[in-house]
Amino acid sequence: MPKNNPAIITFIAILYISLLPMMGFYAFAQENAPASSEAVPEVEVAADTDEEEEGFDDEFEDEFGAAEKEVFDPLSGYNRVMTDFNDSLYVWVLDPVARGYRWVLPYAARRGVKNFFHNLLFPLRFVNNALQLKIKNAGEEFLRFSINSTIGILGFWDPAKEWFDLEAHEEDFGQTLGYYGVGGGFHVVLPFLGPSNVRDMFSLYPDMQMDPVNYVENRPYNFPKQEGEYQGVSKQTLQEVDLTLLKIINRESLRIGQYANLKKDAIELYPFLRDVYEQNRAKLIKE
Amino acid sequence: MNGTLIVLFLVCLSAVPLIADDISEIRAMTKEKVDAVIRTLKDNSLSKKEKKEGILKTIDGLFDFSLMARLSLGKKHWKALSKAQRKEFSELFVKRLKESYLDKLDLYTDEEIVVDEAKLTKKNRVEVLTYLVSKEDKKEMIYKLYKSKKKEWMVYDVDILGVSIVQTYRSQFSGILKKESMEQLMERLRSTGELGS
Repeated sequence: MPKNNPAIITFIAILYISLLPMMGFYAFAQENAPASSEAVPEVEVAADTDEEEEGFDDEFEDEFGAAEKEVFDPLSGYNRVMTDFNDSLYVWVLDPVARGYRWVLPYAARRGVKNFFHNLLFPLRFVNNALQLKIKNAGEEFLRFSINSTIGILGFWDPAKEWFDLEAHEEDFGQTLGYYGVGGGFHVVLPFLGPSNVRDMFSLYPDMQMDPVNYVENRPYNFPKQEGEYQGVSKQTLQEVDLTLLKIINRESLRIGQYANLKKDAIELYPFLRDVYEQNRAKLIKE
Repeated sequence: MNGTLIVLFLVCLSAVPLIADDISEIRAMTKEKVDAVIRTLKDNSLSKKEKKEGILKTIDGLFDFSLMARLSLGKKHWKALSKAQRKEFSELFVKRLKESYLDKLDLYTDEEIVVDEAKLTKKNRVEVLTYLVSKEDKKEMIYKLYKSKKKEWMVYDVDILGVSIVQTYRSQFSGILKKESMEQLMERLRSTGELGS
């Protein structure tokens, strides 16, 4: 090391510090100066509008321009009809039933039921977190399930979150496919289930296979098997329908008014719900 | 060699706080407004009307509503409008946006709004991450701010669970304008609450 090193350091440091205000000014000036290429059209635009912010639109165009692209929607005719069907079903059947259910059952009980069904879906979350190599999340799901199934009394209560600060990590098979680059495909509105797309629709099958609510032979976990028939329908199917209905009504009873509220931002219901679904799925997959 | 390193280090040190200060200020400003909205909501001495007025007053300084109107319609359609049409569109849209925001607050019960981190996404863009935490779940809301020409940071879009308000309106408007005229779109906006599918 040469001896004069400290001197050079000091010199450079002083030089740098003295230059600081200028650099700051430079940055400030740069921020204020319009890019020369944009400057000319901006003046022209300003001449025929009263708003001075008009020039800003260009900068935002990249961000939102994609929203105007034509969506590939071969089923749009069917989708619109099914959207109306689902909407009516919600407004005239599910919503009133959920309100009645809410009136009968106290909040704590409904929350317990929700927790119970949510805990049962542990295999789905665990497998899909693992498939996406989210090892930490999968581990946390495993811990949550262990804690909530035992201390949390069959999952009716959620001590994992309340005491140990372990949050659930929602993942389904559609998200796993998306994670590996599978596109959504065109939009499909499913009867009863609502907005979906080709990818998520096919993912419903593996998802349902993992849901204990549906009986699957040779699976280590199941609700007790029901034998026999009732009025020509197998009791097994009836049990599945009952559990699913309970799950849905209970879920809706905890978010009454939210759908009606969401709809207020719709000018046309079907394209609106389609857009909301696709944007939300894209975000869930990105996470 | 050492000297260069130290200088580089100094450069980094001095550059970071410059940006960080600005960002933490924006975060603080957003938090202050959001908290003020919640305070107004929780204030039981106010009538429903007073609450709404108070909230609108608070957020007027935070949201750039007229920009949101323009962004939602998109450059192409906006440019095609006459001055009077622009004015009417803005008024109708902003009214709708405010009403929808206030209606959403009607569902408010005991949620808590946690203002998380703010981050610089571009030179003049900052995103403030917030969570609406209820007993049920935690909903992510991102306030997207830009630096206006008046050097104020204002919200131009909000993402709720990944759904951008501006983008959602924009794709709806562009879809409608492919098959209908601007006048018909205005008519739809005038008759709020009337839904087609």
